[in-house]
Amino acid sequence: MTIGTVLIAVALLAGLAATVVLFYSYLRRDDRYVDAVTPLIGATAGLLVIALGYLTYQFVVTDYSNAYVWNNTANYIPVLYRVTGVYAGNEGSILLWAAFTAVVALWAAVVRGLDGRDTKLVQGITMGIVTYFTAMLFVDSPFRSITQEFPEAGEGFVPLDGTGLNPLLIDPYMAIHPPVTFIAYALLTMPFAIGVAHFVSTIRGDGGIFAEWIGSVTRWLRISWLFLTAAIVLGSLWSYTVLGWGGIWAWDPVETAVLIPWLFLTATLHAVMNYRSRSTYATLAPAMTATTLALVVYATAIVRSGVFRSVHSFANDGIGGALLVLLAATATLGIGLPFGYWLLREPEEDVDDSQTWLSRTNLLHLAVLGVGLLGFVSIWGLSFPVLNSYVTGMEVEVTGRYYNLWSYPIAIGVLLLIGFYMDYDVQGKRRASISLAVFTAATILAALVAPSETWTLSDVSANDALFYRIVGSASALSVVPPAAYVCLTVVNRALELVPGAPNRNFQLKQAGIAMIHVGFALLVVTLAFSYLFTAQSSLVVADAQNEATLEDAPVHDVPGSSYAVEVTDYRDYRLPEDPDVRNVALSAEQVIDRGEGIHETRQPVYGTVTQVNQGPEATVVQLDNSRIWLGVVGESGETVDVSEGDRVVAVGTVMWDFLPEMQQSDAVVVAEPANVGPVADPPQALDQTRVEGSSAGLVVYEDGNRIASGEAGQERYVQQGGMEVRNVLVDRGLAHDTYVIAAVDDGTVSLTIRQIPLMTAMRASVGLLLLGMVFVVLFDPAYGLVRSWPRTARQTNAVETSD
Amino acid sequence: MTFVTPRKLLTIMLLATALGIGYYSMNTAPVLSDESHTYHGDTAWKTDVEEAQQVAAEEDKPLLIYFWTTWCTYCDDYNSNAYTDPTVLDRLDDFVLLAINLDDGSPEASELQQRYNANYPPQHVAVTPDGEVLIEINGYAETDSFAAYLDEARSEWEER
Repeated sequence: MTIGTVLIAVALLAGLAATVVLFYSYLRRDDRYVDAVTPLIGATAGLLVIALGYLTYQFVVTDYSNAYVWNNTANYIPVLYRVTGVYAGNEGSILLWAAFTAVVALWAAVVRGLDGRDTKLVQGITMGIVTYFTAMLFVDSPFRSITQEFPEAGEGFVPLDGTGLNPLLIDPYMAIHPPVTFIAYALLTMPFAIGVAHFVSTIRGDGGIFAEWIGSVTRWLRISWLFLTAAIVLGSLWSYTVLGWGGIWAWDPVETAVLIPWLFLTATLHAVMNYRSRSTYATLAPAMTATTLALVVYATAIVRSGVFRSVHSFANDGIGGALLVLLAATATLGIGLPFGYWLLREPEEDVDDSQTWLSRTNLLHLAVLGVGLLGFVSIWGLSFPVLNSYVTGMEVEVTGRYYNLWSYPIAIGVLLLIGFYMDYDVQGKRRASISLAVFTAATILAALVAPSETWTLSDVSANDALFYRIVGSASALSVVPPAAYVCLTVVNRALELVPGAPNRNFQLKQAGIAMIHVGFALLVVTLAFSYLFTAQSSLVVADAQNEATLEDAPVHDVPGSSYAVEVTDYRDYRLPEDPDVRNVALSAEQVIDRGEGIHETRQPVYGTVTQVNQGPEATVVQLDNSRIWLGVVGESGETVDVSEGDRVVAVGTVMWDFLPEMQQSDAVVVAEPANVGPVADPPQALDQTRVEGSSAGLVVYEDGNRIASGEAGQERYVQQGGMEVRNVLVDRGLAHDTYVIAAVDDGTVSLTIRQIPLMTAMRASVGLLLLGMVFVVLFDPAYGLVRSWPRTARQTNAVETSD
Repeated sequence: MTFVTPRKLLTIMLLATALGIGYYSMNTAPVLSDESHTYHGDTAWKTDVEEAQQVAAEEDKPLLIYFWTTWCTYCDDYNSNAYTDPTVLDRLDDFVLLAINLDDGSPEASELQQRYNANYPPQHVAVTPDGEVLIEINGYAETDSFAAYLDEARSEWEER
């Protein structure tokens, strides 16, 4: 039992106790033990956070007595990426998720208290999930001792170096992308619990809790939307610089899988806004709220279970099963329960206002549907190839083209809808209808105007299906009118609503709403244009290694582009640069410490030669003036050239009492000449090279102006299956990014230069989206985190209606 | 009171649209593979590892193994550039083509993938029928250099 395992075990007990007390108290209406619940939740959260801290500590100090640490880091890795190792595998990721969820539960318990029956149910469900995660950790612990991994190595065995970290994770964005993702996931636990509790309460005839918890729900959903958006953005920025994964977005199964909960969450936020307890969305809003967590678990199961293999499936070992159980549970509670209620029990909806076609409620409903349809395109693209191959045995292809061409018209429709809603809200039906007609016509016309083939959404051939031919040959210009429509109407609405409004928070919230929608419109435009208008050209500098040494290196024009490139540096390197022999070999002292336990085992040793006995068939040398000697035995009398004072390293078989006639020797490490060498140039078996890199220093010119300089090349991770990672040179420009990929080999540099337009505008649009949501989260007069002044009455002050 | 409210009607229309998209897209999706081949650009690649090795041995040709996935954008570039280029297609005739979908997960595929260190797509390896490596092309190569690689593989093969 390791310290970490004990932490997990105690956290499991505390979590289980809290869950049991909460459900007991809910079912029996017995509050006897409830006082213990908050401390128990506190204990669970505290212990999980301590466990996470302890695991991080083990990574930082490279404590290889922990098998998980040994598996996910190595001595040469700098501290930042040692921390990244914490969530490089499944166990660490689940620990991260569990700890965050527990903190969320604790936060809710402390802020809201545990009064009221339904509160106990909500907390019971949340703690149930925390406890489940903790149980997963108990079964599949990130604190498994290394002796369990290598039982044959005996007690107390600690490897000298780890196996290393997945090279794709050695990236600054990867250091923060996973925690941000798991914070978003953890925050979604509360809305899930509230949604489920609402249906339980409704079905049991207690009247439901959603109306009363609407403030909480809104806040949790908004904050998790903020984190989930940030997580996707960080992931995209990562894949942008990791070559081979196709830039910002490539519809990789994992990217698609995380887009689904994001779209759904976006739709849910709009549905929750539409919620009125007795009439509209009385069922749909809570149902959608309850569903989001199941989608998140679905995304994680795809990422981690190996159902779909992709760059994200870092490991697939067993944890998939536990996630599938969780998926089944969350889907039953979050989707099945509301659906069943809707089918069997839902009372007739009041039809008072819904007879008018044009109302804000109906428009919002359309928005929910539209975003839902976008989600459907993604879910379907992920699922139908699997379904199809099960049913027909034939494999069909789903490429980016499917997602792009189906999502595009829906996204355009959603943009037009946003524009119309914003316009209608302040200008009324007549004027709004006219501008909708104008912009729709402009969109259709723009779709027909393609100045060149680059402007069309896709290459089409005559044997494509009709839909793909139509949408594929539409011009990307068609995204401009709807986006302009959104920007104009959103800004117009903000100008109508914001100035003169008495409430400061209301003004700030409206500004936030405007930023979010303008940000979204700009994002769609920049995505479409940067995807279509990326230009690529290439160049081979055959004599790069020589050119790099020249004082005045030649500048090569890149054919078919406005770029020119100069090679200023060329180098091959190995990491770690200055390997420490202690990473791979034992000192004489350590051999003595391990004693008889390593008799007749192969061990690496190092030391300074203090005495040399050259015999006819063997050379025996003393290490560090100790009782440990190195015996070099060649098969055909080869000898090895060592003299006193040399620092040597060797790998050989440890033999205790091997030369009884030699008084000053306890053990001899018997090695072949090929396995002995100086520390500065160790034998092959002890070579510590992790990374073989080649890199070229480049200066890039555009239209004769120097725009960027830096290094590009590739690194090969020799101990990780020879996996190759590219280091690219990216120049971030106002109008376009310049993206240089270099294959550096044998003195030659093969360059691919991409000009990717509008990346800075895209980054700005995402920034706007996030900032807008921060405004809404903080300043919403009804549910914002910053109280409005003068303070408005809030409904959520723990008014209990049941019992 | 009428039964169908605007919201219900909209919802029903949406569901119908979703069904329509589902049905249409499933029926028009390009066939990637049938029982024995996958198709990339204008080329057809064998998918059965053993069969490909056998054919290579019988015809005394080198094997070209292509590791790909559906979501790899550089594979799309290969499809639209190299695999439709007549000079490349000519050269490909000298090889027995074997395509491995890295997402497929079959034991034969993962064995090959491990043997040739194919970690992420696209990756090409030209090997002798016995599996010895002639050349490797990691990542995307422009059509000219792709053709040059194939020439190199062929001369390596002929030297043996």
